[in-house]
Amino acid sequence: MTTRSWQVRAGLLPVVLTGALALAACSGGGSSSSTPSGAAGKTLVIDTSFDLKTADPGRTYEPTGLIVDKATYDTLLTFEGSDVTKPVPSLAESYELSSDGKELTLKLRQGAKFADGSPVTADDVVFSLTRVRDMKGTPSFLLDGVEIAKTDDTTITLTSKTPNPALPYILPNPALGILNSKAAKEHGATNDPNDKAEQYLNSASAGSGPYTIESFNVSSQVVLKANAQYWGAKKPYYDKVVIRNVESATQKLNVQRGDSQVALNLSGDQVTGISGGLQVKRTASAYVFFLLANQDSGVSKVTSNPKFVEAVRKGIDYPGLLELAGEGSTQASGIIPSMFLGALPADQAAKRDVEGAKAALKESGVTDPTVKLEYPSELTVNGLSFQPLAERIQANLKEVGITVELTPAPVTTALDNYRNGKEELGLWYWGPDFPDPSNYLSFAPGKLVGLRAGWKAGADKDVEAAADKAGAAVTDDDRKQAYTDFQQKLNATGPFTPLIQPGQNIVTAASVTGVEYHPVWTINVADLGAK
Amino acid sequence: MSPTSAPSSRRTGNRVVRNPLARFLVRRIVTALLLAVGITLVTFVLTNLVPGDPVSANLGQRALGDPAIVAQWRADHGLDRPLPQQYLMHLEGLLHGDLGTSQQSHRPVLDDLADSVPATLELAGAAILVSLVLGVGFGVIAALRRDRLSDHVLRVLSLVGISVPTFWLALVAFYVFFFRLQITPGSGRIDPGMTPPPQVTGLYTVDALLSGRWDVFSSAVGHLAAPALVLALYTIGLLTRFTRSAVLEVLGQDYVRAARAKGLPGRVVLFRYVLRPALVPVITVAGLAFGSLLSGTVLVEAVFAWPGVGQYAYKSATTLDLPAVMGVGLVVGVVYLVINLVVDVLYGVIDPRVRVS
Repeated sequence: MTTRSWQVRAGLLPVVLTGALALAACSGGGSSSSTPSGAAGKTLVIDTSFDLKTADPGRTYEPTGLIVDKATYDTLLTFEGSDVTKPVPSLAESYELSSDGKELTLKLRQGAKFADGSPVTADDVVFSLTRVRDMKGTPSFLLDGVEIAKTDDTTITLTSKTPNPALPYILPNPALGILNSKAAKEHGATNDPNDKAEQYLNSASAGSGPYTIESFNVSSQVVLKANAQYWGAKKPYYDKVVIRNVESATQKLNVQRGDSQVALNLSGDQVTGISGGLQVKRTASAYVFFLLANQDSGVSKVTSNPKFVEAVRKGIDYPGLLELAGEGSTQASGIIPSMFLGALPADQAAKRDVEGAKAALKESGVTDPTVKLEYPSELTVNGLSFQPLAERIQANLKEVGITVELTPAPVTTALDNYRNGKEELGLWYWGPDFPDPSNYLSFAPGKLVGLRAGWKAGADKDVEAAADKAGAAVTDDDRKQAYTDFQQKLNATGPFTPLIQPGQNIVTAASVTGVEYHPVWTINVADLGAK
Repeated sequence: MSPTSAPSSRRTGNRVVRNPLARFLVRRIVTALLLAVGITLVTFVLTNLVPGDPVSANLGQRALGDPAIVAQWRADHGLDRPLPQQYLMHLEGLLHGDLGTSQQSHRPVLDDLADSVPATLELAGAAILVSLVLGVGFGVIAALRRDRLSDHVLRVLSLVGISVPTFWLALVAFYVFFFRLQITPGSGRIDPGMTPPPQVTGLYTVDALLSGRWDVFSSAVGHLAAPALVLALYTIGLLTRFTRSAVLEVLGQDYVRAARAKGLPGRVVLFRYVLRPALVPVITVAGLAFGSLLSGTVLVEAVFAWPGVGQYAYKSATTLDLPAVMGVGLVVGVVYLVINLVVDVLYGVIDPRVRVS
């Protein structure tokens, strides 16, 4: 063989290998697109960016975990679609709150079954709720101070020391899903921090929900399969639901190509002009971005000046921020999101008034102020990054005469200053723990978020009185009025400037039905079907 | 003990001491162990130097407001102890094969790594295999056809391979081949809804073959192809350039000219007289390239939703999940050490002069 002929043959080897790889890729490509949602063994693929830790209801509080638990566990009460203003029966067929708001009585539905076929009993309810409260996992605060008791085989009472009208709004949280106590106890479930059932609950379903867990991996995917024993009238449509961990840019391509049928984390920019006959559900999310101006003069003599806060509030170009946030976003009128009871109407939202802002700054007596704005650098909320918002605020306030120095930091670092109340100006967001306005009393002076803005108890008696009144109100009408009043006062004299609620864009294949954004569990897999 | 056993073991010991390769290996393994301990120390110190509190990263906003919950969380994760004690506890756990429990997944880090490391090894292994075959092949062709069109084309291509950022290439490749041309499958290691093969090695391609699941094998190879090629492109470019220059250098040697003049077939000249000495620097580069492949997986895994150690490392780092970060650091460090050891041994196999020295 000559050198030249051998060179030709050797040169063919890489070409052959490349061809083989390309063929392999093609063969795989052909098989994937036909798998999802095919008629045989209906499968639904949902792409989302995982923040998953566990499927154990007593421990989960992350959005992905709540999606999984909503599908696999039933709660005593639930919400219909995206309406969070009225809890409706689920495992409980009815409920009644006492006139003083301290005692909630629930009547258990008969005929509900767990995935193994055993009936859901009042003992299961008491065990499950007590476990969440006493295991001291992340969601335990939901039932802090609530006594859980079985009155008879079909009646459960939840008693609080102080009025707790939020309880019916808290109970639908999937973290309060009802466990099959017998199965859970056999695998180490207890009513204290020594509970050992997490591993079991990550591999099997001890719930009565429409789906059960087939496989569970916190970093790649969760596979749910239909619960053949499901007791509800509406049976699960899909035989299998695959929830995959996919970053947002890839989610968009996957859903457009048909590799997945649902994409949960596309930003406003990404859904603009999205093609391929897809459905886009654009809704304002329940996350509220806000600015805080520290009221502790030890931290900042500038931001603790009430007229400076007024200048900031009037100096911001809110429609400009909405442009950045993209489709689906809306301006936050108050700190309570627009879909909750007690939310301020849109016409009460702050408006830009540059001259008014300059006048307020002049009144403050502070000349040419320079303040630091801290925010998490890498965090995104529904695809929206803090950086462009901070830059826009910087530019807006420059026009008013306020110089803003941007001080981004990784979230783990930025959180320290925020939590310790050391930020001069802070750009943050608040996601609801439960869909009730009482969750936002944390923004009052001396409360959790109030203290982060250096707003100590006694700093604003008017706002504190309004917060107390709102917390004590029991009927819906009284609560709505009280929370409206609380927010109006908070907007007038508080250190917070509500900015925007970014959009929650859910993109689905044209065939998928039943998609509704929910502020607690994002999406209810059991509601999804096909045309 | 039999009367003859002691001298016999001494003889065996002497054989090990006298055998240069065995002596070399023992020395390298001991060094590697010390380096592994060093890696744990560096990872631990660096992770603790990051300004930030793991509590903030792991507890919800409401839980952060409750000092009792914060204190309990610190105690549960050993963070209430002095740093030297935390490090010693980590080392003690390591000796018992315990890498701690991930603060994010609530699972033993070893279990998390058992899930994610095989995925990355499968991806990086496929990429290095492709890189070696294509990179060395292209390099040899470019050298043998020096200054001709194929040489120029390959040199430009290798330059492109080295210059293009991997994350960009991953996005473009996914967009073009999956979305536009529709010839590659989508995210993940196998088709969604397909049940993975029973775990033996954790490599889906191998496990699918072992269990006779041809559908899974086909799907796994299909899903592997695009990310492996993207990951390999940089290494292919690197190896092409190094192989070309190494082969050109050897081709100019007198003994190669002599072999040709003697009328030896081109295949013999290429393999026996050219490739063998030229491969020594190429192996060094390949070893280093494997390291860059591992770092490249972080971005490629994100784009292709590949559930490997890159994604795990990123998530652990951004949440200050100390046990997970330490676990990843140790595993990646050990992989580096093993690769270096293999490279050193290969020097001896390929080049007799190294064996003699």
